[in-house]
Amino acid sequence: MPDRPTAHSDNADPRRFRSSPGSAAEAENANPRYFESADDPRIMLEQDIGSDLYEPIPPFPTRTEREGEFYSLADGQMFLNVGPQHPATHGVLRLVLKLSGEQIVDVDPVIGYLHRGVEKICENCDYYHVIDQVDPLEYLSSLFQEWPAVMAFEKIMDVEVPRRAEYIRVLTGELLRISSHTLYMGFMALDLGGLTPILYSFIERDEISEMLASITGARMLFNYFRIGGVNGDLNHEFMSRLGDWMSRAGKQAEAITGLLNENEIFVRRMRPIGRLDRATALRYGVTGANIRASGVPFDVRRAHPYSIYPELDFNIPTREEGDSLARYLMRVDEIKESIRIIDQCLHQMPDGPIMARLPRLLRPRPGRAWAAVEAPRGMLGVYAISDGSDQPFRFRIHDPSFMNLEVVPALLPGNLLADTMAVVSSLDPVMGGVDR
Amino acid sequence: MAVSKNPRGSGGAGPSGRSLAPLAPGELTTPIVVPNSVWRPANPLAYQGAGSAQLENTHLREYGETDAGRVDDARWGKLQVIPTNADYVLELIRSNSLWPLLSGLACCAFEMMSAATSKNDMDRWGMFPFRASPRQSDVLIVAGTLTTKMAGPLIRLWEQMPEPKWCVAMGDCTVSGGRYKRSYAVVQGIDRVMPVDVYVPGCPPRPEGLIYGMLQLGQLVKDRRGHWHDRSIGPTVPDKI
Repeated sequence: MPDRPTAHSDNADPRRFRSSPGSAAEAENANPRYFESADDPRIMLEQDIGSDLYEPIPPFPTRTEREGEFYSLADGQMFLNVGPQHPATHGVLRLVLKLSGEQIVDVDPVIGYLHRGVEKICENCDYYHVIDQVDPLEYLSSLFQEWPAVMAFEKIMDVEVPRRAEYIRVLTGELLRISSHTLYMGFMALDLGGLTPILYSFIERDEISEMLASITGARMLFNYFRIGGVNGDLNHEFMSRLGDWMSRAGKQAEAITGLLNENEIFVRRMRPIGRLDRATALRYGVTGANIRASGVPFDVRRAHPYSIYPELDFNIPTREEGDSLARYLMRVDEIKESIRIIDQCLHQMPDGPIMARLPRLLRPRPGRAWAAVEAPRGMLGVYAISDGSDQPFRFRIHDPSFMNLEVVPALLPGNLLADTMAVVSSLDPVMGGVDR
Repeated sequence: MAVSKNPRGSGGAGPSGRSLAPLAPGELTTPIVVPNSVWRPANPLAYQGAGSAQLENTHLREYGETDAGRVDDARWGKLQVIPTNADYVLELIRSNSLWPLLSGLACCAFEMMSAATSKNDMDRWGMFPFRASPRQSDVLIVAGTLTTKMAGPLIRLWEQMPEPKWCVAMGDCTVSGGRYKRSYAVVQGIDRVMPVDVYVPGCPPRPEGLIYGMLQLGQLVKDRRGHWHDRSIGPTVPDKI
């Protein structure tokens, strides 16, 4: 980094307005690294604005063996930097690709562009505030981020949740799962260059958001689950919107999937890329629909049952291929299962209270608890430790997006450059959860 | 609607009365006349009491015979030049065609996309084409939390955008730090690192909120018409951010 004049130095920050426009030549003579802007002669621009900021090769000596291997180029190879601002990286993911011609040789994902220090904030909040703070992590399906948090706290405090509250949790959660999967299908097509499906996805997503807003008050970051229940009961607006939506949900899902499933270009493009075999998936700790697309029928709702899922009738669809298309079709199947679960919830919903009786200030006994739910992206867990005070001593979030993103360096080498985004988006990472 | 054969056409040319043979230079072709069989005026005296016979005379015939319509003198009179400040007109155009940069940082990005898609259609106000390149965009909508690691790339995007450019801070995090006021990793309001024209608070703001903010930005551009040279470029980017 060349030394630039600091903002507070007296000898005129060059990009500040000069008082007299006549002295441009003097300024140029004084410092030849600055030149006059073509837009406005009163502005002086730096000649190399951050040109060294994004050299893919780091300026420091290599720290690990892997880094040294990655940053040494063989004959005919080159680096290509993708991100962190890229329309298809699903947030702020940066990938440094090592290319040989058009073929990817190696990839180095750089994360941390959305690290907000949420775990540390949660350890300085009292138990009720944690629910609000964890919302923006899984921002596409934030109820699934609240769910393990409140479940872990309920385990620590030994609270029993009323059955109606459990039904409402499952109902709203499955609605959000549909919303998230529908968006996934739209973005998948968008990353391959098709603009139409995203327009249909957002119709469904906006409807579900408005539906949930009528009971939670927010469209995205709900802050709805509470320790020992939920914040508000179902109301008339929610039920009428849900009834309207359920009457056409199946048909709409068919319409959206028909745009892609019957598209030969899409199917042939997705079929051979990003093949994740069963052993690799297990070794990397991939969860959710990604591992079920590789033939492992692991679903937290079935493997470690929680809430009222043991009473509900639903299937765990699996696929054997493990490629990008299988991961996409997995989501299509899960949408159908979620619609079934919502239907059962509406028919079996009991009457009763929605909150357990709890004191205003929670000060649980010292202890620790692990709770995990099946989020749209996989197993989302929370490990909470209480030291007896009114704040959690440790609040660890295990996020599925992070584990799923880890597999990218294993999937990409050998593929073509144009397939990078198709593989990454088929794994459906949410960077808020990855960086926390 | 049936196409009638023009009684004044050269006979036997085709169903529309127009000869398919190329015209000799200077020869006037007869217009295709489509009779109005779709609607009738409620008042029979409207349109100068035009019956079906008169309605068959289109303006094309009149256009060929006279000079009417050759000069657009209806609006500007005989004046062919509008004397004005160029910026004054250009900014009017810019304010009605604000092209945002497609750059989402976090949660707010999805509400931004929701504002651009089917239900809340920002396209109606000329704000749709989300450009993926900063070279082609006018507005930087900073949608989502700006962390210290992302601040450098975002400032680089801002510097790559050509003037005149505007910045919209969307969401509480970008306005003031919001719920991350206590975080060690978040820039406490993007106006610490770049100039901001419109703040849209909310966590996240509804799509309607963003659209309202963009409309306010359009109004702001109109209000500053002819004065953007005087606009401050904003605080300089701190060194080594």
